[in-house]
Amino acid sequence: MGDATMSKPVPVRHLHVGPEFHAEQHIHPEPTSFLSRYVFSKDHKVIAKQFLWYGLFFLVMGGVMAMMIRWQIAFPGTAFPVLGQLLWPQSGGVMPPQSYAAFFTMHGTLMIFFAITPILIGAFGNLLIPLMIGARDMAFPTLNLMSFWTNVLAGLCMIVSFFVPMGPAAGGWQSYPTLSTLVGSPGHGQTLWILGIFLTGSASIMGAVNYITTVVRLRAPGMGYFQMPLSVWGIWLTAILNALFVPVLAAGVLLLFLDRVFGSHFFLAGASITKGGGDPVLYQHLFWIFGHPEVYILILPAWGIVSDLLSFFSRKPAFGYKATALSMSVITLLSMVVYGHHMFVVGMSPLLSQGFMTLTMLISIPSAVFFLNWLGTMWRGSIRFATPMLFSLGVVFVFGLGGLTGLHLGAISSDIYLHDSYFVIGHFHLTMAASVLLGAFAAIYFWFPKMFGKMMNETLGKWHFWLTIIPITIVFCGMLVVGYAGMQRRLYNYEAYEFLKHLHPINVWITRAALLLGASQFLFVGNFLSSLISGKKAAENPWEVGTLEWTIPSPPPHHNYDEIPVVLHGPHEFNNPAVTGKDWLAQDEPIGDEPVALGAVGN
Amino acid sequence: MAVTRFPVPEESRRTSFVGMVMALASWTMLFVALFFAYAVLRLRASAWPPDGLAPLPKALPALNTLVLLGSSILLHFGSRPEAEAKRGALRRALLGTLALGSLFLALQLAVWVPLWRSGFRIDTGTYGSIFYGLTVFHALHVLAGLVALAVLLPGAFSGTYTSGRASAVRLSAMFWHFVDAVWVVMFVAVYLV
Repeated sequence: MGDATMSKPVPVRHLHVGPEFHAEQHIHPEPTSFLSRYVFSKDHKVIAKQFLWYGLFFLVMGGVMAMMIRWQIAFPGTAFPVLGQLLWPQSGGVMPPQSYAAFFTMHGTLMIFFAITPILIGAFGNLLIPLMIGARDMAFPTLNLMSFWTNVLAGLCMIVSFFVPMGPAAGGWQSYPTLSTLVGSPGHGQTLWILGIFLTGSASIMGAVNYITTVVRLRAPGMGYFQMPLSVWGIWLTAILNALFVPVLAAGVLLLFLDRVFGSHFFLAGASITKGGGDPVLYQHLFWIFGHPEVYILILPAWGIVSDLLSFFSRKPAFGYKATALSMSVITLLSMVVYGHHMFVVGMSPLLSQGFMTLTMLISIPSAVFFLNWLGTMWRGSIRFATPMLFSLGVVFVFGLGGLTGLHLGAISSDIYLHDSYFVIGHFHLTMAASVLLGAFAAIYFWFPKMFGKMMNETLGKWHFWLTIIPITIVFCGMLVVGYAGMQRRLYNYEAYEFLKHLHPINVWITRAALLLGASQFLFVGNFLSSLISGKKAAENPWEVGTLEWTIPSPPPHHNYDEIPVVLHGPHEFNNPAVTGKDWLAQDEPIGDEPVALGAVGN
Repeated sequence: MAVTRFPVPEESRRTSFVGMVMALASWTMLFVALFFAYAVLRLRASAWPPDGLAPLPKALPALNTLVLLGSSILLHFGSRPEAEAKRGALRRALLGTLALGSLFLALQLAVWVPLWRSGFRIDTGTYGSIFYGLTVFHALHVLAGLVALAVLLPGAFSGTYTSGRASAVRLSAMFWHFVDAVWVVMFVAVYLV
């Protein structure tokens, strides 16, 4: 305020400008041909959309498979409506055991690597990192393009595997030997699975290298690590885990490939070979060294997004912002050293098991920190119950359930009983399927206006939320119950076992809820498509929040920022008493006439 | 708001450096996982080499280690910014590295072929699997490194690149040194101990 009576001069605020600002960001001309603009685009916003469509396609595919699996569990021996007759005419529409094994394998594979990963990491990682840190594009746009198209090749491998003799991989999404060696699955389906995983892994690594470098180098001046939105924190930590641990999976499937194609003996043991002997458990080590970080790879972006959205819609700064960012980082580190808890029943040394148990239990501490921070963020806030907020609350709810049930699986004594039961299925679906899916929906409803320049329908969105959260809770909590009652996972027909027969009613209800869950997704598809075509035009900042992407038009121009913004505040600057007339403040919006000097490092 | 901007130097070279460091960290994990697999199999075996197999030859691989190390040294000194003063230093270093890298692959073949002919193959228990799995996978990386260096040649001859100051030269050289470092570990782990 230019008040003449003000006696003290306003101190010049010196913004620390990191070396990252020095990276030159040219404004590239917009591509004009159809191919360079929409197909082989290097624009992170277009690649984000490509990943979104790609992921949604596989989400539908994996979802339909889940429905069929549930149908078989609840109504064994009856034909799956419509699709059953098309897929299995020889058995009158009933899913045969081999297809059941193939479908639960491919359901897991497609959902994890081809639905969740592309939507949260591929689409929102690409969309949000440059926009939220104030950059014109990713650090390596060509690598970004390659990452998407490598992923498409991987997806093709998976789709083609459905049409080869003996069908797709059927050894579970982990593909343990000996189920996955030539002994257990002689068909080409498993080999194509390996190729697909190797390719999608390469694509993930390309993306990860790009994301990490972009965050390190291209943050706008003033955007320190602790000025970054928590969404970027989550995606960045995910990228670090991806870069370091996907290669371990790559090594595992590479050796499996050598065993299958060139006859090596890494994982073969016993009567199948004559000389020496490999070790099937070795694959389990390699798989879970990757596999445990992988569950955090999937959930970290959703955690970050929810941490931001809870603040945005509670109209309050995120409670304990730094503690949330740091606890996510601590979890990232801990996730690298706990993989043994997936292998308690394999026959590990008890001392090692106890070490893994202790480290696993330690994760509860940082998890509780950010979970309580979420509650603290909402505490006494002026909450706006818009659709993205509802889905964020859904994440808080189902992740709470999933996190608590994780304790039973991290403790050796209870895990030995619960291992390989539906309790495990319920637990990991609550944490890395339900939470991540709800987080993805929150993100789609929230950033749809920025991506496509249109608003989504709020009424349909709210119906979609309630018709998702209620059945999803029933489905996965029901699985916890049947698992606790002793029902094993992957049973084609559990009613063949006398001691499980009494679980029939609850299994039927789980399936009914699952079918409702599947059906209610049509609300989303309808809303998404109709909003895309005829949605209300989105304003620049429809949610009235302060992160950088909401300071530019919806959708943003090709180069995002005409001028690279200068960041002055954190991402959640709500109800700053110095601001009048509105309750939010953009990250680059000055208060009054505060002078700012940008200096190079070392000056 | 009064914003003063200071002029900034072109630093995209540094960005690509950060990216390459991350990529190599990722690659390192790939080889760490392969060595981990080797360690597990070896610890589980009652004797090494198992099943009364003859130990691997050491002399030729040792010579090959020197060849690869020599190529790295050559490339390092030839692509240093200080070498820019000497005309054609980069050109000579690239050609020398390509020659030594090719010699490495030829000597690898000289190791593999007699062993394979003598009946020691990839399906000869875990010993054969480890040996061929690791060394062939590494050789493919050497091949990739040779391609990455060969594509620099036209630029080096036309004068586009004069030293590792050019990002393309610097990044390819980093990859080459990485592949060499992996070999040193592999030589010690697979042939020596």
